[in-house]
Amino acid sequence: MSAVDIACIWALAGSSLLTAPPGAKERPWSLAPLVRPAVPEVRNRSWIRNPIDAFVLAKLEDSGLTPSPEASRSELLRRAYLDLAGLLPEPADVETFAADDSSEGFERRVDRLLASPQYGERWARHWLDLARYAESEGFKSDETRPNAWRYRDYVIRSLNSDKPYDRFVREQIAGDELWPEDPEAHVATAFNRHYPDESNARNLLQRRQEILNDITDTTAQVFTGLTFGCARCHDHKYDPITQEDYYRLQAFFANVRAVDDIPLLRDEELRRHRAKMAIWEEKTASIRAQMAAIEEPRRKDLAKDNFDRFPEEIQNAISKPASDRTPIEWQMYYKALPYLNPDLGSIVGGLKEEAKKRWQALSDQRSNFAELHPGVMPIGTGIGDGGRVAPKTYVLPGGLYNAADREVDPGFPSAYSSEAPRIFPPPGIESSGRRTALANWLADARNPTTARVIANRVWHYHFGRGIAGSPNDLGHLGDRPTHPGLLDWLATELVSSGWSLKRLHRLILTSSVYRQSSMGSTPPASDPENMLLWRFPRFRLEGEVIRDIAMQAAGILNLEAGGPSILPELPQGTDGHARWSLTTDSFERRRRSIYVFVKRNLRYPFFEAFDMPDTHETCGRRNVTTTAPQALLLLNDALTLEWAAAFASRARAAATESLESQVEESYRIAYARRPGAEEKAEAAAFLKRQAEIAGGAQKALVDLCHVLLNSSEFIYRN
Amino acid sequence: MTQRRTHIPLLSTRRELLARSGGGFGALALSYLLTRDALTSRTADAAPRRGVHRGPHFRPRARSVIWLFMEGGPSHLDIFDPKPALEKLAGQPMPASFGKPITAMGTASNALMGTKRSWKQHGKSGLWVSDWYPHVAKHADDLALIRSCWADGLNHVGSVCQMNTGSILAGRPSLGAWATYGLGSTNENLPAFVVLADDREVVGGSKNWGAGFIPATYQGTLLRGEGTPILDLAPPGGVSQKAQRSKLDYLADLNRRHAAAHRGDSELEARIQSYELAYRMQAAAPEAVDLVGESEPTQALYGLDDPTTRRFGANCLLARRLVERGVLFVQCYCGSGSGWDAHADMEGNHSKWCRASDKPIAGLLADLKARGLLDSTLVIWGGEFGRTPFNEKGSGRDHNPWGFTMWLAGAGVRGGQVIGSTDEIGLRAVERPVHVHDLHATILHLLGMDHLRLTYFHNGRNERATVNAGEVVREALG
Repeated sequence: MSAVDIACIWALAGSSLLTAPPGAKERPWSLAPLVRPAVPEVRNRSWIRNPIDAFVLAKLEDSGLTPSPEASRSELLRRAYLDLAGLLPEPADVETFAADDSSEGFERRVDRLLASPQYGERWARHWLDLARYAESEGFKSDETRPNAWRYRDYVIRSLNSDKPYDRFVREQIAGDELWPEDPEAHVATAFNRHYPDESNARNLLQRRQEILNDITDTTAQVFTGLTFGCARCHDHKYDPITQEDYYRLQAFFANVRAVDDIPLLRDEELRRHRAKMAIWEEKTASIRAQMAAIEEPRRKDLAKDNFDRFPEEIQNAISKPASDRTPIEWQMYYKALPYLNPDLGSIVGGLKEEAKKRWQALSDQRSNFAELHPGVMPIGTGIGDGGRVAPKTYVLPGGLYNAADREVDPGFPSAYSSEAPRIFPPPGIESSGRRTALANWLADARNPTTARVIANRVWHYHFGRGIAGSPNDLGHLGDRPTHPGLLDWLATELVSSGWSLKRLHRLILTSSVYRQSSMGSTPPASDPENMLLWRFPRFRLEGEVIRDIAMQAAGILNLEAGGPSILPELPQGTDGHARWSLTTDSFERRRRSIYVFVKRNLRYPFFEAFDMPDTHETCGRRNVTTTAPQALLLLNDALTLEWAAAFASRARAAATESLESQVEESYRIAYARRPGAEEKAEAAAFLKRQAEIAGGAQKALVDLCHVLLNSSEFIYRN
Repeated sequence: MTQRRTHIPLLSTRRELLARSGGGFGALALSYLLTRDALTSRTADAAPRRGVHRGPHFRPRARSVIWLFMEGGPSHLDIFDPKPALEKLAGQPMPASFGKPITAMGTASNALMGTKRSWKQHGKSGLWVSDWYPHVAKHADDLALIRSCWADGLNHVGSVCQMNTGSILAGRPSLGAWATYGLGSTNENLPAFVVLADDREVVGGSKNWGAGFIPATYQGTLLRGEGTPILDLAPPGGVSQKAQRSKLDYLADLNRRHAAAHRGDSELEARIQSYELAYRMQAAAPEAVDLVGESEPTQALYGLDDPTTRRFGANCLLARRLVERGVLFVQCYCGSGSGWDAHADMEGNHSKWCRASDKPIAGLLADLKARGLLDSTLVIWGGEFGRTPFNEKGSGRDHNPWGFTMWLAGAGVRGGQVIGSTDEIGLRAVERPVHVHDLHATILHLLGMDHLRLTYFHNGRNERATVNAGEVVREALG
């Protein structure tokens, strides 16, 4: 099909979207009850490894198409590694696998990959895109959120332990209410703590509303796959979501506040920590009291300065006795609290010369007791409720924060059911219980969207396109599923396996559909875009994966897991070096991309160039662009040249003196295969030519390795 | 229904195709994938539609935009909007009839403060300009002063963000990105959307020229003042041109072989092209930013011979060179990092920034005119907000998003006129208020685009640059 034809069809279809499509306001397909469909009959039964294949093959046969042959062993293994671990298979591994031509050989590899800690690191990145995860506030100051990374590690652990997805969902929404004794479950609630925030906000009512909108939109989109955000200002134009639905959903979160001091020690550890702390506090009591006396005037000044800038109603909410505060005033109070407790740095930084000296002397004295100190308590960040009673929620005409119209109670979207949520405050904690009701509803196997949405997302990450192509919009305006039966079958399979994501991966990877070659003949006219999967769809890897596998090829990737984020080198001359405190240890800098600090106002340039989402809102499908800045980065950046040099040393060490052998090793490392005769000759010719131009055989090999890192075969998952 | 379903895969395919090849920096669209598509764009654009839009909706008046962004908030009360009543009330608290706004620094109860400036009418049109902008004043007849601008944000980051993206919350595409998405560039070796900052970082950083939810291809590129103008434009020292070319040839061979084994994948062809484009840029970008070739009189016109005006003058001259080379959208920050933010000492602060910008702006207007470029270049002047009539700390003014002045000049603009007004003390826009969305709609209009029809399908909505608002300021058009 020519570009002209496409353009014409485009125009035709575009015009039909001017008016509401037929079926608007009807339930979209994704809300139909989830029923396990019958597996279709196919003619070519020998191709079927599991029911996935039957669903795909049935459509192909209907269209007169045939699947592609199975991928080569090396192509298949490289694909599975990149897919499940985000890494390359090692050359020796490829060869053992190539020799093992049993069908179970591949299944065993899949199991091994799923059991590796690298699986969680690879798949956590997908979830973090959805969670608009970042480690800084955004807006002007973009302050660091020092414990945000604990959520990242929690996601990795959850995936690696194959935590049932329904439990995972409950933890995201209401882990603090459902498992108050489990710090891990409380850290999970950071899912709704990742909203961008403005530390300099004056109008806290407006700010609160903006945060609630972020939480509502994100939660709805990630778990229901519906674009509730449209209903913030008016009833959804296409889907059966009313403005009232929007605010009823928002009401589940009406009492939410940030909790940035979740103690992560438990039981005996916590008791020990506290006991030790008590001793240290006692011994240093007088020193600390003197320090506090020096700090006090400055602390008061700073707090007053901030207080004075708040509008009157906020000032009143802060100043009144706790017992008089209404729930909404508690909300204002909690939001204002960080500004009324200025941080130590700005207090001490602003002390007068003499006072600062005295303060420093005391601080030195205090450090004599350092041995008694139990160390900084590990803390996490998440959300909690402001109390047992939530502030009221109103429908806001036009979405304006101060345009309160009729009051609404928490409620599930009317298109799902008219069942009213049962809400009661959980015993023993100061929480409303609203989020528990929402969490249980979302994680209920009878909820038609939850399983469909996640099954579609998993498929999307494996094939580069979901069964429905718009994973964050399964409503009327989103893409229709190409294989609705398959999606429902996968969703029911997920539920009946106890919501095991690993089982879902395994099913998909061991299917014949997944094992097809991505090469193959000229695309058939009836399906040029491979919607029916007559071959395996290939796609460009994410920037995070490209960085990881380039360092892996170079033999310098540090696989250490978990912990605070690292800040690797920025391209020379990047604006913002001052805000990026480079990790000093080069070994640390070479850790996997999932551990690279996520700064809202300075996305890591290498990832940004390759379409990392901008972290201000949920992203269910990344853009995929092909641009010259990507080429410049891979060609000219000091880091990629460093990788190329290390890659060449590794290849040389594994090879003999002969050029051919060096070429062969380079190919095995980068592509998980040996070069063909023609490729070998071409490479040898390049090495000879380049040795003359660049000055020596060693430099020529570095250039060859650099070219391989830049090549399409390297940065694509075939 | 059936028909619509059938087409959806094709729609998203085309959307993806365009998204990948794009129209912005380093994009390959015009020269490569979509040459034929561009020819048919009029047909395709006849109807608004989901996804990508390409080409103007109607005859554009402006081929390029130069946006002079006075960051930090210049005082309209001391430059373009004289207020005799404010002089009379100076020293007294603001009369209750004006209401008490929430301000950034809580200053609304402070006494009103007059201006120390002297004012004159200029040009045939007789526009009032204060003695802080004597050179700009000579171009009075080219300016359409909009004295009734207003915005939503109270502080810098939200307001700069809104002036660029339409929203005080980060995450939306900037206007330059929208324009690039709609129009692409006529010089494929340079970015279509370029940002020039001065010594400090723009408040809020790159999200002000980011692409938000539209593909990154459309984002602005910050040209750097030192080293290579674009990150990683040149290989580090020691790599000869010949060695680089030889590597690129080998790479092209590898990539072609790979593409041949994966027939029907246009993305692979685009990758091959992207490396050729990168190679061409290595020559084109340094040439564009090299001011050495400019004559001495030209350099003097922009104030490059004077340390006070050299910094911003160089950026203005650079802006002209870029526009000359077909760059679509240039943003030139003056006082990046809230330079104009005179909470105290208006006199000292604004004297400095007005001096730094006055001659370069006048030089730019004169130079564009002399070269016949002003007819096709829209020049915009303004900050993220103005300043309050009441004082802060006795000698400064607080942020004022309720009423402030911006001006348009050049392509398609009727100069020598005042649009709208603020109240007697310059606190709020009262007559013909012009919101940021209206400004954006007007800029897009001058570029030949209907802001209601320039849409990108995102999360269930056809998103627009102007969100759900915006009206073209018709009076501004010539």
